[in-house]
Amino acid sequence: MAANEPLAGTVQRSVGNSSMILKTGSDWRRGLDNMLRGELKSWFGTRTWLTQILIWTASINFIYLMTALSMPPEEAPGGGVTMIFNIFMGIVGPIGVSIIMQGAVVGEKNSGTAAWVMSKPVSREAFILSKLIANTLGVAVTMVLAQGAIAYLITGLVVKVWLPVPGFLAALGVHMIHIFFYLSMTLMLGAIFNHGAPVIGIPLAFHFGQQFLMSLLAQISPTLAKAVPWTLAIPGNDSADLAVAGALMNGAPVQTYLPVYVALIASLAFIIIGIRAFQRQEL
Amino acid sequence: MEWVIDTHGLSKSYKQVDALKKLDLRVPKNSIFGFLGPNGAGKTTTIKLLLGLIPPSAGSASIFGLDIEKDSVGIRSRIGYLPQEPRFYDHMSARQILEYTAGFFFDGPKAEVDRRVSETLDLVGLEEKADRPIKGFSGGELQRLGIAQAQVNYPDLLILDEPAASLDPMGRRDVLEVMERLRKYTTIFYCTHILDDVQRVSDTVAILNKGELVAYGPIEELLAGGEGVAYEVTMKGAVENIYQSVTAQPWVTGIQSKAHNGTTQWIVSVSDAAAAENGLFRLLAADENAIVVHYHIKEHELEEVFLRIVEGGQHGRQ
Repeated sequence: MAANEPLAGTVQRSVGNSSMILKTGSDWRRGLDNMLRGELKSWFGTRTWLTQILIWTASINFIYLMTALSMPPEEAPGGGVTMIFNIFMGIVGPIGVSIIMQGAVVGEKNSGTAAWVMSKPVSREAFILSKLIANTLGVAVTMVLAQGAIAYLITGLVVKVWLPVPGFLAALGVHMIHIFFYLSMTLMLGAIFNHGAPVIGIPLAFHFGQQFLMSLLAQISPTLAKAVPWTLAIPGNDSADLAVAGALMNGAPVQTYLPVYVALIASLAFIIIGIRAFQRQEL
Repeated sequence: MEWVIDTHGLSKSYKQVDALKKLDLRVPKNSIFGFLGPNGAGKTTTIKLLLGLIPPSAGSASIFGLDIEKDSVGIRSRIGYLPQEPRFYDHMSARQILEYTAGFFFDGPKAEVDRRVSETLDLVGLEEKADRPIKGFSGGELQRLGIAQAQVNYPDLLILDEPAASLDPMGRRDVLEVMERLRKYTTIFYCTHILDDVQRVSDTVAILNKGELVAYGPIEELLAGGEGVAYEVTMKGAVENIYQSVTAQPWVTGIQSKAHNGTTQWIVSVSDAAAAENGLFRLLAADENAIVVHYHIKEHELEEVFLRIVEGGQHGRQ
């Protein structure tokens, strides 16, 4: 393509006394690129990414480091010391992502910035998807990859065990799925509600309520009890089993991948419901 | 005439409350259209409906011939909008806000977009503060930024909700000048409470009250309508005889009189403008006991018309 040739979805037209390339099209993608750039800039163009890394390092890996320093080497691997990291990721991650995401949509609705942005040529789908994609990347980098890398170094340098990289990365992938479940849930709730309380309250209530839910489901079927997202990162009520992430990290057999499928399908449903809700939202 | 905005029975209800009742409105191309009404009249609701931010309960509307529900994104690509209380992302600077806004409309070239952003910052007098985060901006500065972002894309239609609300008199004057300058390129639809501004720059006016359109038409017609012609007269001396002579004329419908600093001031309402033009001043000048020091046709102020329509509950269009 020639250097001056307009891109697809654009048209070169004289506007005012200049010759700028006008964006065209009015489908769901309209405005997504610009919104995404703006959202990513708010994560990575400011100190937000660094602040988030420091917060989650203090909340997750500081405790992991303390545990690793105090644990005798013979107790270390095989789900021993890394279990602390997985459990803290499993508990703190959903709380953290719910806090980060609570203002993403409902905050913008209340402040009026959502109405301002939506007065520009932006589709409602693009608004929600830009929040979803940018925050997923932000959380993936600061909460999962950075914390994973720090935990890997702590395990290697302090515990003196260098875990297999593929298993470790697969475990981080499972943590990401776990966190993404709460990220998409909070995003959906932000599109539905106009107040912050239910947007953060419902994910946290679900997060901690899963222990009771597992007991309830176990009475119906033990398999169902292992399908809840909790068991992605934290051992279920039957603590003899490692959670999915812990098993992958330590090369142990995974009891069931059911919670992975459940979390992914539920996340997809949350995104679809969130987009539908925002399409009907009065701004 | 070419209409930019055309609404038919456009309505919006919230539970039992009718925020907007069957609005039929046509906004001519390249006009400065003043949209007036007291608080809660339904002005902002109308704007939000036009922008597709809320769906109508009934009726329809088109902008540039495009349906506001089906073609909202296409319509918004040709519009600039200033909200009543502009809110932008605090972490951005004024320049970044304009670059971000321009990014919704233009795909480059970067040098051209940058030039447009700088030009717009200059237009609203924010070039010196362009690279500071907007967190510390005053209300007036945010308002200027709001005006800048609304017209960075060379819009065919500018929708301004209280454009001069937070500005000092100089800022207000600048905004009106910008609006007058933009008239030849764009249509301006704006809400305001500052009726002097409307009278100064608007060519067409609509007044909304309790969700209902109560007056609509060219501003000259609106100002002329209703009360008929009146003359303001100021005199010195004894006015008793001349008062009798004037009230005896069949075309004089009333005189409001008051004394002020040794003078007598009248507002003479007449039913026949031509007869009054020929006869009134001759009548006043013929009396030797009184001296006419001031005489002119009373110009109705928009504020008077607005208050009469809104407080008097006048319904139906002018």
